[in-house]
Amino acid sequence: MGRRGPSELQTQVLAADLCTACGACLGHCPYLKSLGERVAFIHPCPRSEGRCFDVCPRTSLDPESLDRQVLGAPRRHPILGGYDGLYFARARDADVGARGQYGGVTTALVLLALESGMAGAALLTSGTPTREPRAVVARDRDTVLAAAGTKYSACPTLEPLAGLLRESSEPVAVVGRPCQVAAARKVEAREASGRLAPVIGIFCFWALTPAFYRFLEGRRDLERATKLDLPKDGGMTFAVNGRTATVRLDEIRPFIRPACQACFDPTAEWADVSVGSTEHDAAWNTLVVRTARGRDLVERARAAGALEVKPYPLERIPVLEEAVQRKKLRVLDALDAGQPEVAYLGLREAQRAAVRAHGRA
Amino acid sequence: MSLHALGTDAPGQLVILSGNEAIARGALEAGLGYAASYPGSPSSEVLGSLGALARAGGFYAEWSTNEKVAMEGAAAASFAGVRAMTVMKADGLNVALDALTSLAYSGTKGGMVVVVSDDPGAHSSTKEEDTRYLVRACHLPLLEPATVEEAKEMTRWAFDLSEAVGLPVVLRSVTRISHARGSVTLGALRPAPRTARYDLNDRFITTSLFHQVLHQRIGQTRARFEQAPFNSCEGPAAAPRLVIAAGPSFTYAREAVRLLGLGEEVRVLKLGTTWPLPEDFLGAHLKGAREVLFLEEIEPFLETEVKSYWAQHAAELGPVTFLGKASGHVAGAGAPGVGELTPEIALRAVGALAGREFEPRSEAFARKVDRLPLHDLPPRALAFCPGCPHRASFWAIKAALELDGRQGVVLGDIGCYTLGAMQTGYFTLKTVHAMGSGVGLASGFGKLDLLGFTQPVVAVVGDSTFYHSVIPALVNARYNDAPVLVVVLDNSTTAMTGHQPHPGTGRHATGDLAPALPIEAIARGLGVPTEVQDPLRVDETVESVYRLLKTDGAKLLILRSPCVLLPSVKRLRRAAVDPARCIGEACGCGRFCNRAFSCPALVWDRALERARVDDVLCSGCGVCVDLCPRQAIAFQELASCSR
Repeated sequence: MGRRGPSELQTQVLAADLCTACGACLGHCPYLKSLGERVAFIHPCPRSEGRCFDVCPRTSLDPESLDRQVLGAPRRHPILGGYDGLYFARARDADVGARGQYGGVTTALVLLALESGMAGAALLTSGTPTREPRAVVARDRDTVLAAAGTKYSACPTLEPLAGLLRESSEPVAVVGRPCQVAAARKVEAREASGRLAPVIGIFCFWALTPAFYRFLEGRRDLERATKLDLPKDGGMTFAVNGRTATVRLDEIRPFIRPACQACFDPTAEWADVSVGSTEHDAAWNTLVVRTARGRDLVERARAAGALEVKPYPLERIPVLEEAVQRKKLRVLDALDAGQPEVAYLGLREAQRAAVRAHGRA
Repeated sequence: MSLHALGTDAPGQLVILSGNEAIARGALEAGLGYAASYPGSPSSEVLGSLGALARAGGFYAEWSTNEKVAMEGAAAASFAGVRAMTVMKADGLNVALDALTSLAYSGTKGGMVVVVSDDPGAHSSTKEEDTRYLVRACHLPLLEPATVEEAKEMTRWAFDLSEAVGLPVVLRSVTRISHARGSVTLGALRPAPRTARYDLNDRFITTSLFHQVLHQRIGQTRARFEQAPFNSCEGPAAAPRLVIAAGPSFTYAREAVRLLGLGEEVRVLKLGTTWPLPEDFLGAHLKGAREVLFLEEIEPFLETEVKSYWAQHAAELGPVTFLGKASGHVAGAGAPGVGELTPEIALRAVGALAGREFEPRSEAFARKVDRLPLHDLPPRALAFCPGCPHRASFWAIKAALELDGRQGVVLGDIGCYTLGAMQTGYFTLKTVHAMGSGVGLASGFGKLDLLGFTQPVVAVVGDSTFYHSVIPALVNARYNDAPVLVVVLDNSTTAMTGHQPHPGTGRHATGDLAPALPIEAIARGLGVPTEVQDPLRVDETVESVYRLLKTDGAKLLILRSPCVLLPSVKRLRRAAVDPARCIGEACGCGRFCNRAFSCPALVWDRALERARVDDVLCSGCGVCVDLCPRQAIAFQELASCSR
């Protein structure tokens, strides 16, 4: 395959509106900048090949190759990816639990990674849910706690990663959306072997554009919300002054980032661990343990009393699988129809068939 | 500028003056009381000189907000019986034309001279405009000086003529008079009057009833032109070959005749009073001419006027072959009327008239020239000065628009920042028209949303331009709720024309302090949301522009940072590349500082194979310090000293 660079990144991803604002291409060169969760070349880059193309999760994504790189083996599960354990989990620390969106599992694991020395710094997404979030490099408890809670738009959190990897040799923990996890793995393969520890993926079915925040500014009843949520019974809820306001999902859908329609990986299949909502009990998280490092992290967290873990209810597994499969099937249909926005996905016919066949007797 | 010579009361003394200084001197010798102008090359030094002399000379001189106001100010003085002058470049006459056409109808009282300086070849203009057509359209007396000395004499004479016929008189100069230097014999200075008064019996009303009166006054003008000392003819009386020339082309014609040895064969008719034509004088000298060659700038104005006269008198004058720009016999590299008429073009034309081939260079010299490696000289594009805040502004605007991603359109205007249409401004500007046109266009573009337009609209204007003609366009944008971002590049001066003051700078043309009228106060007074930002802080500027592009209605962003050439701007630091941190091509940045950002002070050191800052050129603005992806450029403090 010929080397490709900024020109191809522009035509295949940026101009095609496929950019997920993961941030992996940023922080390396003066040509690529980000503002308002948009990524653009602010000046034409003269290079014919480039790192930007190589690390972008939307120039190409080869699930089998990533499985080998991350899991060391082909995946066990065509819908949920490779995993070693599937749990309900929650933080034991009351502070952490209170700050977290649901069970505070991500925050608890990051704190443990830092405290145990597994990572020297953590790349997190910080801010309030009603304003554009920012990437933050956390090294202490307070900064980690301040970054807790779900952000609903696509922050290019990976932007500081290039600088972090360059300026020191410490391992870096990364918490990201599935596209950011995939990008982080491409970075790891290219230049940072062993430097990313751990990589925690957050379940994500779509992200909103910052137009959502401008919408909130026009809604005086919502703009001071301290917590947002997408409960399973529908709508988006806003916790304001002890009360909860609900907005129909139809009002939110126009703000969905178009690039998210082409995503095949809502559960971050190449993270060390993936964390999501249970859609059942808001006090707990879904926790997917995938790699040996992920297993090590979770065990350390349990041993240290930071994490409480119980088996995932068997009867709820099909519910989770169905939601993920539905998203994958939409992409498969687009692939079959030859639509260019999903052409980045290197999915052989056997994998496609496995996704389609799952759950059908 | 020889200010001392300009203001000295020493009649008979021989001095060297520029054409603009000579015009100023002519006005002083005529007892000038009031002068108003807006800067515009090649005319700016007229008011520049008068402003410096005004206090000592006891007369009034101002830089006006625009040429129309300048014209009106001078007219007021004239109505009060004071001799007044207004000065502008060709484009300025376009701005003032409504006032001037009205003054032609209303008439004037105290002598009023309108000095217009055209720019053949457009050395420092966006257009190559021949204002003589406009003067004719106004029906006003037109004078064209051929030498620097004549510029002074004509100016003084013009005041007398103006009072005799009751009309403003236009003195039309060109670059090779205004910006040339010549020897001038000083005349006696005449003091400015102390009798300014509006006689209530006078009325200066513009009404079509005076159209006929205007023609009568022009008839009187023509009679005076017949006797004017500025028209002459030299050479053999009966010669059938005649050159008619006006302006400095006359001196080229004279020189050509001498160089070609045609003194006994070719007559040269000099016209200094070029509209209305002194027809009797012209007719007398056209008699016997069989071939007539016209040498003039810029367009074939005289050529057409004289041909029209000939057509009227063809029976007496007989057949004549007319050779000029319109006929295609006098042309530079471009089309007739395009490009400056040079002495070389004049030589070839006069030579052709007489059937003489003339080679301006000897063969030996031509061979030497051909051997020069001229083709190796790299083409030098116009560029912003090192540290110019406009470079930073355009960088930020361009970046913000790329990040915005909606293909925003940036409309330009007139000033140093017009270079934003070129590489030095990253080709950011897509349109350039007249003063204030950027915001006028923006106001229009902003209302196309009704018709499917989705692109953000940005207008870039300068601070002097803002006062000149942006305000009405801004009112229009606000009034019609056009969603446009007006970016004012405020460098605290009228830079392109030579750092003249304007209503925002706090100084008058005389150097005295003036009340500053802040642009933000004007815009906010119109209800236009206004922010002020330092353009040298590029990241902040990008964010400001990006954010403002997403707001509704008309808004103003002032990017304020002084022009680096202002004497008040002290260079306290400079940038320097750390050769240990800069890794040259290995960086992968593609020589971002000197190739992409392209400040002239950033050079590529071929020996070191790294970037380097030229410490003589660097002004210490610091933008490159922020842009280098490896932070390889840092500040060095200098001991405090002015440039």
